[in-house]
Amino acid sequence: MAELKFSTLEEMPLLAISLESTQVISTGSWRHVRPVYVQRTSPCEIGCPAGEKIPEYFELLRQRKYEEAWRKVLEDNPLPGVMGRVCYHPCESSCNRAQFDSPIAIHLIERFVADKNFSNTTPMPLLESRKRERVAIVGSGPSGLSCAYQLARRGYNVTIYEAEAKPGGMLRYGIPRYRLPRRVLDKEIGDILRLGVELRLNARVGENISWSELKAYDAIYLAVGAQRSRRLGVEGEELDGIRTGVDFLREINSGAKPTMSSKVVVIGGGNTAIDAARSSRRLGAEVTIVYRRTRAEMPAVPEEIEEAEKEGVEFLFLAAPVRFHGENGRVKKIEVQRMALGEPDASGRRRPVPVASSNFFIEAGTVLTAIGEEPDLSLLSSSDLSMVLREEGGRICVDEHQMTGVPGIFAGGDAATNPLGTVVNAIRAGKNAALAIHEYLGWKKVENSAPGEVVEYKDINLAYFVHEQRARGGRLAVAEGIKSFREVNRGLSESQALREVDRCFSCGTCIHCDVCMDFCPDVAISKDAAGEYVIDYNHCKGCGICVAECPREAMALSAELAFATAGSKDSEEQEG
Amino acid sequence: MIEGSHASSYAVELARVQVISAYPITPQTGVVEKLSEIVASKKLNARFIKVESEHSAMAACIGASAAGARAFTATSSQGLALMHELLHWAAGSRLPIVMVNVNRAMAPPWSIYADQTDSLSQRDTGWMQFYCESNQEVLDTVLQAYKIAESVYLPCMINLDAFFLSHTSEPVALPKQSLVDEFLPPYDPPFRLDPDNPHAFGGLVGPDGYMELRYKIHQAMEEARVKIKEVDDEYGEKFGRSYGGLVEGYETDDSEIVLATAGTAASTARIVVDDLRARGSPVGLLKIRAFRPFPVDEVRSLARHVKKIGVLDRNFSFGATGIFYQEIKAALYNAEHRPPVFGFVVGLGGRDITPAVIEELFDHLMKNNVPESESIWIGLKHKPA
Repeated sequence: MAELKFSTLEEMPLLAISLESTQVISTGSWRHVRPVYVQRTSPCEIGCPAGEKIPEYFELLRQRKYEEAWRKVLEDNPLPGVMGRVCYHPCESSCNRAQFDSPIAIHLIERFVADKNFSNTTPMPLLESRKRERVAIVGSGPSGLSCAYQLARRGYNVTIYEAEAKPGGMLRYGIPRYRLPRRVLDKEIGDILRLGVELRLNARVGENISWSELKAYDAIYLAVGAQRSRRLGVEGEELDGIRTGVDFLREINSGAKPTMSSKVVVIGGGNTAIDAARSSRRLGAEVTIVYRRTRAEMPAVPEEIEEAEKEGVEFLFLAAPVRFHGENGRVKKIEVQRMALGEPDASGRRRPVPVASSNFFIEAGTVLTAIGEEPDLSLLSSSDLSMVLREEGGRICVDEHQMTGVPGIFAGGDAATNPLGTVVNAIRAGKNAALAIHEYLGWKKVENSAPGEVVEYKDINLAYFVHEQRARGGRLAVAEGIKSFREVNRGLSESQALREVDRCFSCGTCIHCDVCMDFCPDVAISKDAAGEYVIDYNHCKGCGICVAECPREAMALSAELAFATAGSKDSEEQEG
Repeated sequence: MIEGSHASSYAVELARVQVISAYPITPQTGVVEKLSEIVASKKLNARFIKVESEHSAMAACIGASAAGARAFTATSSQGLALMHELLHWAAGSRLPIVMVNVNRAMAPPWSIYADQTDSLSQRDTGWMQFYCESNQEVLDTVLQAYKIAESVYLPCMINLDAFFLSHTSEPVALPKQSLVDEFLPPYDPPFRLDPDNPHAFGGLVGPDGYMELRYKIHQAMEEARVKIKEVDDEYGEKFGRSYGGLVEGYETDDSEIVLATAGTAASTARIVVDDLRARGSPVGLLKIRAFRPFPVDEVRSLARHVKKIGVLDRNFSFGATGIFYQEIKAALYNAEHRPPVFGFVVGLGGRDITPAVIEELFDHLMKNNVPESESIWIGLKHKPA
């Protein structure tokens, strides 16, 4: 025991008080569990098919490191400006905050990050040195672009063969400009090309580009997408005035103004149908969407359906065309039959069942069919590959590494069997393919890293959060919006974006909120010069309050290494 | 017209308390409810810390007081018992926390009614203790308590009977804030938790030092005897009301038989004393205001000229006797004059102490010269013989 400083009653202070540092007492020796900082996975990262590291780029935004935040997104997705506008954001469906008040508007923040760096055209740094190998990519849609980008970053010589006059695939020819302005698309494609990717336009494989040219490459990625509209197979489909939604959109997005009647009917319930309907509104038509199930089963992005409604698109649910009636070879009306919902089909949605004797007529001067798209794999016929490449349901068979059966030939996106028909999945497929090609060419093994422990809603310490409204981006007034193809959604301002980032729980990622430090009863947590937390294990008693209080489950209590001697420096070693 | 619980709340507001932390328990709830309104309306600039138990409430007050803030809490019976270990801590840390305790019976059986066993069970913790007989006295005593506590550096509890005071409205005069500010300056302790001047408080002290530190607490309690009287006199001069310091002798100067008690029973006893005196009986009342420090001198001084002392205990210590009875006998043991002392146990668990009951006690005192037992339980419901 330390010697008393005061020997008499009169000298003693009013109460027991220390006059020197008490640090010599190594209370850390009392510990049997120790707190450590851990990085766990947030559900949004798992939810994002491209695997964007959302909590990490959010943390960079909090530190106002806008360019670094942008480049953090770019590690996994080269098209954040595009995706912030058109993605169906499954990340938000996984967001833990959805169970507290509303999910973080991740897509709007991603858009902000891209828009904020719009004038930055400095390419991403290469991850590896330049290589000798050459890779051919067929198709410059999101999948092809993603693959080209990831390969170019790893030093490969990439050539994209694009059949159309401009790159982008459905991003340019499918999605209308009021959803995705061309300058945004062009900028991000430009960023990819600036890595040294060669782009050949008007290059149709099987026509002006031979397979022997392709075969000379060290690997090939087929990303031709699904651009052929399914036929209805209904009598009268060949009448004038009836065309596919995809064709209609391609014409508009190529800069032309299609001739059309003022009474437009769109058949279908997916994004193409909505795009066609909203585009028609902008060309002055009255539009009705005819869909054989109900609104709840529509595969289109819900926000798009709402926008269509706001813009005055009419909806006729539980109805399907059975015959087109024309006059002088032009369509005039559609004979429509009512449907009822029966048992679920393969997609899990309830199957529409025709209701007998329920036919009625609706007028239509222009009919746009948008009941789904399929790949056009005719390019394969001029190769010997059609014999060897397996197809299933009209798509190229691939495994989870985008490998077809043929060594060196990879496929992905809508043209292959493992997409989900969305842009973000196409981007994921492109990245997968790049990594698989990288391994195939002998450079680096693909690591199938299992996701770390995912933080669930119950792990969040809600005491540190209050309910707040989700951010809403500005938008053009509806009446204004339908006058042109100007972008409707205006996105978030900087302050809105930062406030929305602050709403994020940051599941599993430390954001230096200092709660652990503030609560430690032993004052055993401090910050080093770099601002990182340091635990003084000589004095940490292992009470676990820091771990319990951490609002975002970014700490853990792990078993103490050794029940060693008191105050020993050995007990400071971190376990591996 | 204010009920006793609210009289406490207004006193806390006037005292410019800075931290309040309490847990609700009948019949203290009015104290904290009123305070939460006062704080929410910003009439009082205080931090109101909600906690999940009385133990935490006292812990919060200890932390706040140690950091130099004027702190307050309120509780009753079970809640006070839950705080027990920290009552020792507050006194040992020399923190001038003031607490209002509504005297309520200890369970089981569950009871919410008036009984003093709760606070008297805490007599050894080092807290000063006052017992009030009116809502005005509650308000005045809370204000006096901060001044006394912050002078001797000991915590203080102020007791009032459940329902008889806590929930009964009486006329109460609220002093002016400016006068209170003159009377009670801001709290400014010599030691406080301060990151710029760090110390560890209350650490391990071995047998070579503990006793001296404890002696200092004893010294502080002895100082409090003087201080309590001083502050009461000062309060009387400033606000026009005082309560006699540690005790008040009512008609005791020329009485032969005196009943000693504390709490609302004292106010009822006054009426009985007046009535009996009018009929010729030489009786008086010793109202015990401070229980800790115990008014030994005052009791001895009374004993010099009275013939018999009766003690009305609205409490009991099992295995012994009523507690005021024990303390009064102990005070007299070494005194020169030791009249017989009778211990009456009355009104436990809120059983009403009517004037008739008190008259019965005086009657007993007049008719008996020697107590027939160490605790005479009054009003028990016996089976008819």
